[in-house]
Amino acid sequence: MEKFKSNPLVKTLGFNRIILVGVLILLYLLFSLFSGRVLGAVDIQNVLNSVDFMGFLTIGVMFVIATGGIDFSIGPVMYCAALVAGQLLVVGGLPLWLCLLISILVGLIFGILNGIMVAYMKLPSFISSMASMRIAQGIGSLATKSAGVSWPSTGSANDWYRKLINVNGIPTGLIILLFFAIVCSVILNRTRIGRYILCIGSNREAVRLSGVDTRKWEALAYIICGTLAGIAAIMYVGVNTKVTTAGGDAFNNNAIAACVMGGTSMAGGVASVSGSLIGILIIALLRVGINAMKFSPDWQYIITGIIVALAVYADIRSSQRRR
Amino acid sequence: MGEVILTMKGIDKSFPGVHALDHVDLEVRRGEVHALMGENGAGKSTLMKVLTGIYSKDAGTITYEGKEVEFHNPREAQEAGIVIVHQELNMMNHLTVAQNIFIGREYMKGFLIDDARMNLEARKLFDQLGIDINPAEKMGNLTVGKQQMCEIAKAISHEAKVIIFDEPSAALTEAEIEELFKIIRDLREKQMGIVYISHRMDEIKVITDRVTVMRDGTYVGTLITKDSTKDDIVNMMVGRVIYEEPKTHSMVAPDAPVVLKVEHLNAGKMVQDISFELRKGEILGFSGLMGAGRTETARAIFGADPKESGDIYINGEKVEINSPQDAVKHGIGYLSEDRKRYGIVVGKTIAENSTLASLEEFIKGRLIDRKKERDATQKYVDRLRTKTPGIDQLVVNLSGGNQQKVVIAKWLVRNCDILIFDEPTRGIDVGAKSEIYHLMTELAAEGKSIIMISSEMPEVLRMSDRIIVMCEGRKTAEIDIADATQEKIMHAATLR
Repeated sequence: MEKFKSNPLVKTLGFNRIILVGVLILLYLLFSLFSGRVLGAVDIQNVLNSVDFMGFLTIGVMFVIATGGIDFSIGPVMYCAALVAGQLLVVGGLPLWLCLLISILVGLIFGILNGIMVAYMKLPSFISSMASMRIAQGIGSLATKSAGVSWPSTGSANDWYRKLINVNGIPTGLIILLFFAIVCSVILNRTRIGRYILCIGSNREAVRLSGVDTRKWEALAYIICGTLAGIAAIMYVGVNTKVTTAGGDAFNNNAIAACVMGGTSMAGGVASVSGSLIGILIIALLRVGINAMKFSPDWQYIITGIIVALAVYADIRSSQRRR
Repeated sequence: MGEVILTMKGIDKSFPGVHALDHVDLEVRRGEVHALMGENGAGKSTLMKVLTGIYSKDAGTITYEGKEVEFHNPREAQEAGIVIVHQELNMMNHLTVAQNIFIGREYMKGFLIDDARMNLEARKLFDQLGIDINPAEKMGNLTVGKQQMCEIAKAISHEAKVIIFDEPSAALTEAEIEELFKIIRDLREKQMGIVYISHRMDEIKVITDRVTVMRDGTYVGTLITKDSTKDDIVNMMVGRVIYEEPKTHSMVAPDAPVVLKVEHLNAGKMVQDISFELRKGEILGFSGLMGAGRTETARAIFGADPKESGDIYINGEKVEINSPQDAVKHGIGYLSEDRKRYGIVVGKTIAENSTLASLEEFIKGRLIDRKKERDATQKYVDRLRTKTPGIDQLVVNLSGGNQQKVVIAKWLVRNCDILIFDEPTRGIDVGAKSEIYHLMTELAAEGKSIIMISSEMPEVLRMSDRIIVMCEGRKTAEIDIADATQEKIMHAATLR
């Protein structure tokens, strides 16, 4: 095992990532075996349908977790953005491009709100994101008079936004997600933003005493997170078109679970974009696979819960060794 | 003074790398107040921790009430009648006075706590001590002085025969100290043995009967207080042989410009009206005992903690420093006494730590210029002789001395001209220590100006060009190295 770990190829790819990909493949084989059919194109499209928007949420919350914080508002903020922008499109008659921009803007505003509360007002992120979660749900509901909203379906006017997900079988959604993932990975690993965010998560006081404006950079993590939730909203409606009010919080847990599975430390300071993406693939595959096996979807919750507990336990063990 | 109640003889205790207690003796009699004195790190606290069973001893005997004893934890010591009144009060502010005193051994009425009974018992204790505190009052509403009285009452409620006071007066006002002394005299009347740890020479003269002095983990001697002078005690505290050559004269050119001037700096109780000047190329030593306010002064100058008033001038120009960001902008770097908490980012690499204070200089386009970062890091790894397999090593894997070098590198990469070194050699081994000394001398010779806070007298005498001594938040002396002696410094450090 030690020999395998010190193999140069393994080192570049990352031991944890190889394990994760292994888990992913293993799950695929297991599901194929036990559901009595090979999981095919339809199932993969099913997986991608949720990965397309969940990927944005996961990468976003990863930046926040990297600072040692948490954001429980991403799912509801995504819903809120989809509701507000959808209402302006369908009822308000604004042009589609403007509505997509507004969706991102709503995410950005919630990011700024969360950033100010945590970094400048020093609220615990746990609490402040609960607060913005309720605010987002309230605004989404108010905007649509509790009715929710249906974005234009394929074939009607203003339907080109659906091409962001799929053009004649080409998974544009996945391509867009991968593009953003690469950009975010560069931000995390090669820019000051990422460097400061990771260092803040590792030892905030030491960073502050190095003359770095920790508040600004910490707030930026929440702003990135919020903005990505705004983009996630576009991807979400691109797949589902319909958005209901007062929901979205179920996505928080999956996004956070995917980060942790992918090797992002809940204590902060360690994060991985590719790990987070593989994490969300695993969660999506679990859902589709369990469905294919004709088990109750409730099993997905149970298994995800167990995996998260194990992943966090492994993280705590390894960070004890680091210290 | 009555018969002997407690004898500690030949107590020996080692920790990995440190011989903390080297055959230390202590004798306490009934009806005596016995002072235990010594510099920081002399071993007073360790000795008391061995006595009360927090540490186990390696060798030696403890005789208590005529029998040899060994306590395995503070509870056993407490049950036998030996209790400590800690400097840091261990009180729960939201509980009442009586609930605090009887915590862990509450009077019960069936399944319920009998508060009335506890208030009554607490009242009896206070009456014994002649103090007036309402047992039903919330602890948090009392002054620090009154809280300490409660701590004493709690000690007595354990039927204590030996009470150890660990710097009890540090947080008290003059009037509260008077009241404390009244109680201590009272306890002495009742034939208790009292160990009194304090740095305040004047108090020692007033309240104690005998003084035992420790130095560097060894027993120096015991004096009868009334037959000895303050000088006798100070000489015993500092009378060590200094192996390292002390500096004999200042290395600073007489016309060296003042780079940092601090005027009437105030920041809470620990920083009161501090003024001083730092010259180019100077190593300015800050000496004093624990709690003298040196770190607080440094943090206030650096903007790490808020200040109440005071002016700071850099190169003759008045500057506003309200955050570490401001300080770093003005070329000040701060090396904290607590490296792990405030110095390094342990989970990150040497390179990431080295450029943390100056990352903006390593940006090309929008990205971090990895090559430039690595070159700069490597340069300082070589220059400071940081021992590491490579600059991608996580700092957590380095020894204390090498971690310290990474923090120094951080400020050198930033090219800071004013460096505040707070206990730069704490917790690092002898070899690394002398390397840090050489480095500081080199930096000063290059024209960097250094404030060095140190609790080690030999270090202060060896490194400083000038020495400022602080005591309880005030500057009590400023001594040129040519005139400095251990005795002079210790006098100023124990002025109160």
